[in-house]
Amino acid sequence: MSMAPMPAVTEEPVTREEKPRAAKSAGDEGGKVLNAFSHGFLVLWAAMVILPVVWIIVNSFRPSGEIKSDPFGLPSELKWSNFSGAWVEANLGQYFVNTVVVLLMSVTGTMLLGAMAAYVLARYTFFGNRAIFLGFVAGMMFPVFLALFPLYKTMDNVGLKDTHFGLALVYIAYSMPFTVFFLTAFFRSLPTGVAEAAMIDGAGHYRLFFRVMLPMAKPGLISITIFNVIGQWNQFILPLVLMGRNPDGQVLSVGLSELVSEAGKQVDTGVLFAGMALAMLPVLIAYILFQRQIQAGMTAGALK
Amino acid sequence: MATVTYKGASRIYPGTKKPAVDKLDLEITDGEFLVLVGPSGCGKSTSLRMLAGLEEVDEGSIFINDTDVSNLPPKSRDIAMVFQNYALYPHMTVFDNMAFALKLRRTPKNVIREKVAEAAKLLDLEDYLDRKPKALSGGQRQRVAMGRAIVRQPQVFLMDEPLSNLDAKLRVQTRSQIASLQKRLGVTTVYVTHDQVEAMTMGHRVAVMKDGLLQQVDTPRTLYDKPSNVFVAGFMGSPAMNIKTVPLGEDGAKFGDVIVPLSRERREIAAAGDFDKGKTEVTIGIRPEDCKLGTEADGGIAVEVDLVEELGSDAYVYGHAVYSDGTERFVIRCDGRNMPRLGDVVHLVPEVGREHVFHAITGDRIE
Repeated sequence: MSMAPMPAVTEEPVTREEKPRAAKSAGDEGGKVLNAFSHGFLVLWAAMVILPVVWIIVNSFRPSGEIKSDPFGLPSELKWSNFSGAWVEANLGQYFVNTVVVLLMSVTGTMLLGAMAAYVLARYTFFGNRAIFLGFVAGMMFPVFLALFPLYKTMDNVGLKDTHFGLALVYIAYSMPFTVFFLTAFFRSLPTGVAEAAMIDGAGHYRLFFRVMLPMAKPGLISITIFNVIGQWNQFILPLVLMGRNPDGQVLSVGLSELVSEAGKQVDTGVLFAGMALAMLPVLIAYILFQRQIQAGMTAGALK
Repeated sequence: MATVTYKGASRIYPGTKKPAVDKLDLEITDGEFLVLVGPSGCGKSTSLRMLAGLEEVDEGSIFINDTDVSNLPPKSRDIAMVFQNYALYPHMTVFDNMAFALKLRRTPKNVIREKVAEAAKLLDLEDYLDRKPKALSGGQRQRVAMGRAIVRQPQVFLMDEPLSNLDAKLRVQTRSQIASLQKRLGVTTVYVTHDQVEAMTMGHRVAVMKDGLLQQVDTPRTLYDKPSNVFVAGFMGSPAMNIKTVPLGEDGAKFGDVIVPLSRERREIAAAGDFDKGKTEVTIGIRPEDCKLGTEADGGIAVEVDLVEELGSDAYVYGHAVYSDGTERFVIRCDGRNMPRLGDVVHLVPEVGREHVFHAITGDRIE
């Protein structure tokens, strides 16, 4: 894979000198074979990712019976009622709103607390700094399943079980390790001189953070925000357990799964596909809109 | 309007024993342009950052006027600083960069606009106020950094090698601009540089530092004419002074068979010290422009020419002299129209009375 760009260069004779051409042709052959192979692999991979998505979208327009008899066919008519069925009758509309409400709280909280913690860990030296940082990093390795039961009991005890606020709190805690880990590295890469200039200009710790450092960390903040939005949107096991007794307050991912498993009911496959398409849409749009920032965030700090 | 006083100020970085700045005593008068100069790692930047409040003062204290600022945070010291890499706020426009400090002080909006406009006019930045720093050239960024310091009207300007990121031509141009700007504003300025030419041309007084220790503070002229020790003598001036440690004879310093005569008092001071018996030495410094090309009969030191640098009006002759116990390298300034050729043997005649004499062990100047 990483070899791919090299042979690609040999296909641009403009940038090359004329002389060593003859000698190079053998290498070109090898390069083309490798190129074909790596591109073939990429095409295969792209197909594996894209085709299921297309399949879901195509099937979301087909009636249930048609899907069962011919799963891979094209729609004979556009059955828009699948969407209204999913949104209204299967209650996905309510779930959608619930998810948005939870995410508004949790993503805001994650970013605010995560950025503040990361900033202090990255730029202030104090006793225990390293230990706290490692504590956050260790949190990334802790499987969520191990925490489920204690989490359930705790939330029950403090009376936050089956509430959106409680779920948002858990999401925040769950997202903190990676957010802090990522943003610490990002804040460390920002030039110290700018912070010093702001201090001399008269900024205290809070104004230094909110007026200078936070805006400078914007690329990192955007990518980690999107990462958290996607991660929390797709969260399944936490809401399944922590919102189990509050069916109307449930989030989208769990609501979808209930479409499949509703006991004693015939599953309407067309509606199920429509629901999946709806659930996928916001994340897909976010990805397309912020594609550039996501890529920039992935490689940010690599060259400094 | 402010004076700055370092009183035995030291900075010892955690984990090190040797102070980065060692008991610095320095008084800077109101309106003065003082240049801190020295090789890298000599503690000049640390001294400046101590004054700015960006480094702790571990021992001693620093005063601005009569206020002990040693333990004040940077924002309470009423100083402005220009950084080597400018440290502009990348997310703010030029206007906001310059206005930031005033905004933090809750200055009324119309006053801010007025002051920024004034500074922008002074620095020729009026057309760029809406731009972000990344859309500016190096010289423009440097001027924004200056502007950010000026609008504050601080008690003291601190400048940490503000010209080192500019190209050679712009550096010379900006050098004179900063000097004349300082004169006009009359604000006490501490300027750090490693470039002795900048130090000589800009400073009212120059403080030379080495290994955290202050070597000498004086006007550029005095530093050049009467360096207080071997280090200052070698650091100031380009090309550097010819500094040679040679045996001390009956009448003076012995360059092989050639003797540079020294007075009796000087010989006595030079001989005092912990020398091995019969190995008494003295350090002689001769500036390239204080030598003439002469003949053997003039009592010149025979030097074989290795390289001639032509500068048009002048030429610098680089050569070496061979003694019984090794060779010594010399630089001589001579007339650009009448210079020796490569491989020639010329005779270096020191101008009488222009030589600098230093103690061979302590390196201190001997008058």
